[in-house]
Amino acid sequence: MAATEAKGHGQHAGMWIYPDAATLSQDISEKSKATSSAFKTALVVTGILFVLAVIGFIARAADDGFDEIGPWGYYNAVFSMIFMVTSGAPLAACAFRFTKSHWRRPLSRVAELFSIVGILNLIMFIPMMIFLPSLDNPAGVVEGQMELRRTIWFEGPIGAPLAWDLLGVAFLVITAIAILWTSAMADMAEARNTATGFKGWLYRRLSGGWYGTKRQWNVQKAGLALLGAFYFMTVVFMHFVFSSDYAQSLIPGWKDSIFPVIYTVTSFQVSLGAILVALFILRRWGGYEGYIGKSTFWSASKVLLGITLLWIYHMFAFFITFWYGRLEIEQNIIQYLISDTYSIVFILNALFSFVLPFAVLVWNPVRRTDWGPALAGLLVVIGGLLFNIRIFVASANAAPGEKLYAFFMEHVPAPVYPDIWDVFMVVGGLGAAVFIYLLSTRILPVLSLWEVKEGTLYQKWGKLFRGEYQILGKPE
Amino acid sequence: MQEGKPLSSKQINRELLLTILNSPKWFFTTISLLGMIVLFAMGAAGIMINQGFGVTGLNRPVMWGFFITNFVFWIGISHAGVMLSAILRLSKAEWRRPATRAAEILTVFSLMTAMTMPLIHTGRPWRTVYWIYTLPFVPYDYARGIWPNIRTPLVWDPSAVYTYLTSSILFVLVALIPDFAVLRDRTTGISHRIYGMLAMGWQGNPRQWKLQVIAGVLLSALILPVFVSVHSIVSWDFGMAVSVKSWHSTIFAPYFVVGAVHSGVSAVAFVLILLRYVYGWQNYIRHEHIDALARLLVVVATGWFYFLVMEIVFGFYGREADEIAVRNFQFMVTPWNIWMMIFVGVTYFLPVGIWLSRSARRNLWIMSLACISVNIGMWLERFLIIVPGLARKQLLTFDWYTYRPSPIEWIIVGGTFAMVTMLMLIVARVAPLIPLYDIKEGEILRTEIKIGRVTVPAVYRED
Repeated sequence: MAATEAKGHGQHAGMWIYPDAATLSQDISEKSKATSSAFKTALVVTGILFVLAVIGFIARAADDGFDEIGPWGYYNAVFSMIFMVTSGAPLAACAFRFTKSHWRRPLSRVAELFSIVGILNLIMFIPMMIFLPSLDNPAGVVEGQMELRRTIWFEGPIGAPLAWDLLGVAFLVITAIAILWTSAMADMAEARNTATGFKGWLYRRLSGGWYGTKRQWNVQKAGLALLGAFYFMTVVFMHFVFSSDYAQSLIPGWKDSIFPVIYTVTSFQVSLGAILVALFILRRWGGYEGYIGKSTFWSASKVLLGITLLWIYHMFAFFITFWYGRLEIEQNIIQYLISDTYSIVFILNALFSFVLPFAVLVWNPVRRTDWGPALAGLLVVIGGLLFNIRIFVASANAAPGEKLYAFFMEHVPAPVYPDIWDVFMVVGGLGAAVFIYLLSTRILPVLSLWEVKEGTLYQKWGKLFRGEYQILGKPE
Repeated sequence: MQEGKPLSSKQINRELLLTILNSPKWFFTTISLLGMIVLFAMGAAGIMINQGFGVTGLNRPVMWGFFITNFVFWIGISHAGVMLSAILRLSKAEWRRPATRAAEILTVFSLMTAMTMPLIHTGRPWRTVYWIYTLPFVPYDYARGIWPNIRTPLVWDPSAVYTYLTSSILFVLVALIPDFAVLRDRTTGISHRIYGMLAMGWQGNPRQWKLQVIAGVLLSALILPVFVSVHSIVSWDFGMAVSVKSWHSTIFAPYFVVGAVHSGVSAVAFVLILLRYVYGWQNYIRHEHIDALARLLVVVATGWFYFLVMEIVFGFYGREADEIAVRNFQFMVTPWNIWMMIFVGVTYFLPVGIWLSRSARRNLWIMSLACISVNIGMWLERFLIIVPGLARKQLLTFDWYTYRPSPIEWIIVGGTFAMVTMLMLIVARVAPLIPLYDIKEGEILRTEIKIGRVTVPAVYRED
């Protein structure tokens, strides 16, 4: 067991963790190998949910086929939910590393491991390509309809939108995994000497001749910075593309330049929420209390509070512009997405994405705990799911058939409630994502060992006047 | 290794109060020159009020031009204060210390200047009282049922801007109290009495420091929503107007706020470089501070560019004839298309290209160029939102028109720049533009730790 000390005084008691760098690797390695009964149970439960998702998918395909997008609304929603988390989480690792946030160290790997779940997104996206309606109006030039529906691809360049969407999702998954690999290389090199069997073989292959030379560290640092910058641009672009192709473009008359931004903000919020929940579980039940300090929750919670405020701000900017304009075309959109058809989902969405997390995070004493930020994280994850249901189910069912090519929605459609297969797909899809995440923790340590070790070098406990405080090294 | 030498409290007091206790030779000449420019601009405004709007280039359908552009520009600059002071204070960024005061004071004066623009733009400034007041002594025409329309941005704008101005002044004054006490103890006569009043009995005991810190944090947190709301409301002056197609965009609020931060922080970086040069504050405004501002600006600028792209893409997305006409005017008609290219180039590609290089970030001449470039670009941005939208507002082409600013407008706009510079210099004569206590605190918290053979700069942290 590694010797770890929690320090801090007054309201910050136990805030900072001072792990012993010498015993850290061995201890984490042992923790990674150990499989508790709770872990096994979680694996079995999520595995069952995974099977339910597959059953739901097959049943939906058998019932409705892939000709219309309408029946697949809930499938789109759960895809988007997983996509939000898997695309946003690796970015959290990159962003906090870029800003040299000391508290991020226990968070980095937990965030990066979500990139493996991105593979699920890639697989789930294939059927979505089949049921996405064509850009061209099948009826050709018809009075009162457009020849080409409104799309960010305008006149539809070669392969648009499907080829570019698939390429984007694939590119995103590959880049996220590249970030994970680059970041984990040093840890895998350390583990290859002790690991045996499949893991030993895997670590030898993946550690890429890492010996921790100065050049290798510099290359890793530059690689992570470049990949991170590139990933950031790809994430934002793909959020724009996906939210436009599978939501905005499917509701006639919905022209809303802030929606891609809202989608991205929701993704950042949901992914940080999921990371906080994962961190809390690891700290409370995973045996990582000696490595994941409250300072990580305290600092991440401030970021989550900021993003939560940004979420409501962007939502309000959308709402007020449409509402004040009083244009029929925009009033229909508001009625459909906010005040009428999906009003209950919207109220719950606003409650879970803003009201409740804000009420939790606004209190300093709550933010200083581990459970407070994790609770807010859980709330925003639920809020994110409701957001995706509201937007993607509504979009898929806004204008069936040729109505999709109308200039605007003449009538506000009725809501679409989930059937049993939708429930299977939504709950099972989320279970599948957790299942893959749990499996990934068997391959790589959930803590970025080199970052935590680096952190132990940069922090000291020292005296200033009559008090003792943390001294934090700030290179560059 | 730490950048810069360790500074003692005595040295900090001596060097930072030098501009207050002794006036440099150039001070009165510069103030007089700037004062004359301001008077000249006031004269131009007087001519306009006397002669009417005919002396400007404003005409149907372009009834908003240089004045409103300048209004939005100065509101944007005012966002530097809160961005740097409140957000960086809450996030405990150490490098904020020398930048906060100048940013806060720039906020106050740019807000004041901004508010003169709509007043001048009305052509009959005294009538602006109708926008807000319904008091009995104001000759408001109740008899005919005329009431101020609270649903108009003409009411929202003053409400938001004056709230921001009031809170910004409070923010500056609270932060100035310990520094006023230092000045009180170093002056005599009337100055001593005035600084004594402003210091409000400050003795620097633990209770006073505690209250001052709490007040700073509370004000920082409370001013943030005001900061966001101000430029959002200014953006809704445009966004709510359904009749101007290119303005009716949901993204305008965050797009304007991020743009404001971009121009405001660039302006503060430029002001800091100027202060370092003019007052010889090399020990306080160091390359690392300008470097940190530039790195922050890379993120802000990229965020802004993303919003710009969204705004343009969704401008075309609707494929509506009247909006396409505006976009066509912006992108295809000379000289507007050239201005658009210049605007994007100088606001994003040139400065961000510069900021990506560490050596360029630490070269103050190049940094000055980048910061000025951003502000030229951001001024152009507002101009290119306002004028093309109005010029192509009407569906019928015989109503299309363009706009050419008159010398009167150029002079008034030029006068606002002179006014802000003059006010900043005057304040530098009576209050330290770098907070003394903040710098002293930074010096106390600054330390070093040794990792192997390397010495790394470090700070003491309470949380």
